[in-house]
Formats: sequence, C-alpha cells, structure tokens
Amino acid sequence: MVLKLFGSPQSKPTLRVAHILKEKQVPFEFIVIDSSAKEHKSPEYLKKQPFGQIPYTDDDGFILFETRAICKYVAAKWRDQGSPLLPDHNDLKATALFDQALSIEYSNFDPIVIEILMEKMYKAKFLGQEPDQAKLAASMEKLGGKLEGYEAILSKQKYLAGDNVTLADLFHLALGSMLAEVADIQLLSDKTKYPNVARWWADISSRSAWLEVQNGI
Amino acid sequence: MTLKVYGVLQATFTQRVLVVLKEKNVSYEFITVDWAGKTHKAPSYLLNHPFGQFPYIDDDGFILYESIAIMKYIALKYRDQGAPLLPDPGDLKATALMEQACSVEASNFNPFTTPIVIEKYGKPIRGVEPDEEVVKECVLGLDSKLDGYELILAKQRYLAGDSITIADLAHLPTGTIISRVGVTLLEDFTKRPNVTRWWREIYTRPSWQEVVASADAKI
Repeated sequence: MVLKLFGSPQSKPTLRVAHILKEKQVPFEFIVIDSSAKEHKSPEYLKKQPFGQIPYTDDDGFILFETRAICKYVAAKWRDQGSPLLPDHNDLKATALFDQALSIEYSNFDPIVIEILMEKMYKAKFLGQEPDQAKLAASMEKLGGKLEGYEAILSKQKYLAGDNVTLADLFHLALGSMLAEVADIQLLSDKTKYPNVARWWADISSRSAWLEVQNGI
Repeated sequence: MTLKVYGVLQATFTQRVLVVLKEKNVSYEFITVDWAGKTHKAPSYLLNHPFGQFPYIDDDGFILYESIAIMKYIALKYRDQGAPLLPDPGDLKATALMEQACSVEASNFNPFTTPIVIEKYGKPIRGVEPDEEVVKECVLGLDSKLDGYELILAKQRYLAGDSITIADLAHLPTGTIISRVGVTLLEDFTKRPNVTRWWREIYTRPSWQEVVASADAKI
C-alpha cells in the first residue's frame, strides 16, 4: 500500500516531509487535512496524532508523526534508493555527528527562525498585530550569533554532518526559506558576512526535489 | 582514556548526559565549565563547541555536542551494558517511534519547560526578577500539550513503547526543576493519571536520583 501523507499544502512541516519523500523517490498519496474546519482537533484525528498537529503519515498501517522522525524513517526504510541523506549506520561516530547536526537545526536554528517569523509575518497575518521591534531585534541578533557557529562548521566541511549532504541540512529548508520569502531577510545568502553559509544555502535550496515541492505537493 | 564531560552539574542539558552515563555505568571525568566567567564564549572553547554552549564530551579525542546526540551516542556505544535505552537499531519501526518520542519532547515539552526554568530558576540565581507572564503562558501551553502525553501514556508504559528510552530520560532535568518551582502539572493524578505514573517512574530511577544529589550537593 502506498504511503499516505496527511497534511496541508500551506504547512511548511508538511512540505518538509513531501520534500524528503521526493528526494527518496518514494511514491505517496497526499491527503489534505482541512485545518480551517479544525479537522486536526477532532477525537478521530487525535487517535492518530495525539497533539492535534499536522502532518502525520500512515505507512501501511504504521502511523508516525513529528516531521523529522517521519523523514528519518523514510530515509532509513528506502536507504537504497534516491539520495542517501543518512550516514553509514554502522559507523558510530558518523551517526553521532549526524545526530549532532540534526540537533543543531532543531535547537539553534528552528526556534529562532520561528521567533522572527512570528514577529515579521504571523502576528500581522493572523493576529492583526504589529511586530514587537525589540523582540525582533533580539531574535535577529541571536540568529546572527548562531550563523557564526554555522560559518565555523561549514568553513571546515561541506555540510553540517560532514562532506555529504544529509537530512540535517535539508531540514533547514522548510522554515529557512521563509526568511527570504516572507520576511525579506537575506542573511542566509549573505556572502560577505557568512560566505560558507551562503555557499551551503545556495546548494541545498537549489536541489530539484525541493524546487519541485515548492511548486506544489 | 576516560570520557570527559564538560558542563555544569545543575544545568539541564548537562544532566541529560549524566543520567545516561549513570544508566550505562560508564565512568567519566566531569569538568565544570565556568559559565559565570564566560569560559564557554572564549575562542578556545568555540573550537570545540562552535555555538559556545554546554555540555560537550571528549571521548578519547572525539568531540560531540548537543545533549540528545550525546545521549544516543553513549546508548549506542555501550549497548551491552546497563539499561538498553534504545530499541534494536535494526528495528526500523521501533527506532522511528523512539525518534518520534525524542521529537515530541523537543516540540511539545522543552519549548514550555525551558523558559520556566530560565525565569524561575536561572534568573533568581543571577539576581534578576522572573517574568511571571512568560511563566503563565508556558504553564498554559504545557498543560495543553500534556493532554497529548496522557493519550500516549494511556496505551503504553513509556513514550516510545513499553521500554524506557532516552526520549523519556530527556524530560527529567526540566521536568524536575519546574516541579521544584511549583509547577505541579506532571503529578496531577486526578487530571492525568498516566502522565503522573510515568513521571514518578522515571523520576525515581536511581540514576536520576544520583544526578539530582550531585547537583544539589554542589550548590
């Protein structure tokens, strides 16, 4: 049975999963969840995703949520097709460096980008509120600090876990792309300030599978 | 060479690493990072940890940071001693469920508990007033997320299945501190009996009690 992805075309996390499915050349059925109708808060939905969040996957009865966990599962199950995106699972240190890189994205990038997008986009669009300029400035400073860390890593190796691209790099795309798209923040492409970050960002954001899902899942 | 842990005994992410080391009976040397003296922002420190954070480990020259990555590395390297803490790496589905549980902690627990820790524990240490609005918001947020935990834990003993994993242990440091500063959500038996059962089980593990005792002793 074909893997089913339950999500929303406007949801960046859904896009993250769709992207990796394309990278791994895994066919899937996309079932749209109507978030405006609060479908994802119904008791039926909570049986599948107990936090009432989008997306989740159903792989022949095996239910999984949390996009990064889904993507890791997909990459491991279909290890032998599409782009590798994982380290050699028999290599303890390579695996550890991959987990480290995954965690860097989750703890040092994602929360700060969310803070910025909250001020620059979410508040105005969904809450009709003005951005808190002080908060925004603080978050931007934090992001700058983190990108210095990224620059240090990427000046020594091609990608975050080593010299091969992995899920850790690609997980940055879903929210990172919004910085330029909706918030007009070009830090990730700033060749003067962060030349290696810019090199890395240009590389991952030009992947054909990513460009494909950006046009629609 | 003995594994070295660089961190702070009272710091939540350091404690995650320590509880796993104790579960796996791995000997280690603990080196305290002088956070007040900003050691972790010095150029020499940044060579090992580019984000200037703690903890990190040095395992005979192999440097690793990000607490969850360190927990997993130790659990994998010392598979054959102490509690398993991970499913069989060859079991794709069990591994996926553990990764899901780790991600649940990072998405639905830590974003609410860490700010409470910062406001009610970290700030007082530095003589700064806590922002009670932030605390209130986070308590409300956590309360709602724990409904999801209750649903999961009503069906199975731990977050990834019926065996304890690093995903459960990851909750201990911030969960312990929020309980100490008066947030009793994890032990509201009437509201969430399964969360309470789970929390008490992981909290009372000897490994965690040892970590707490070391943290308390040094204050």
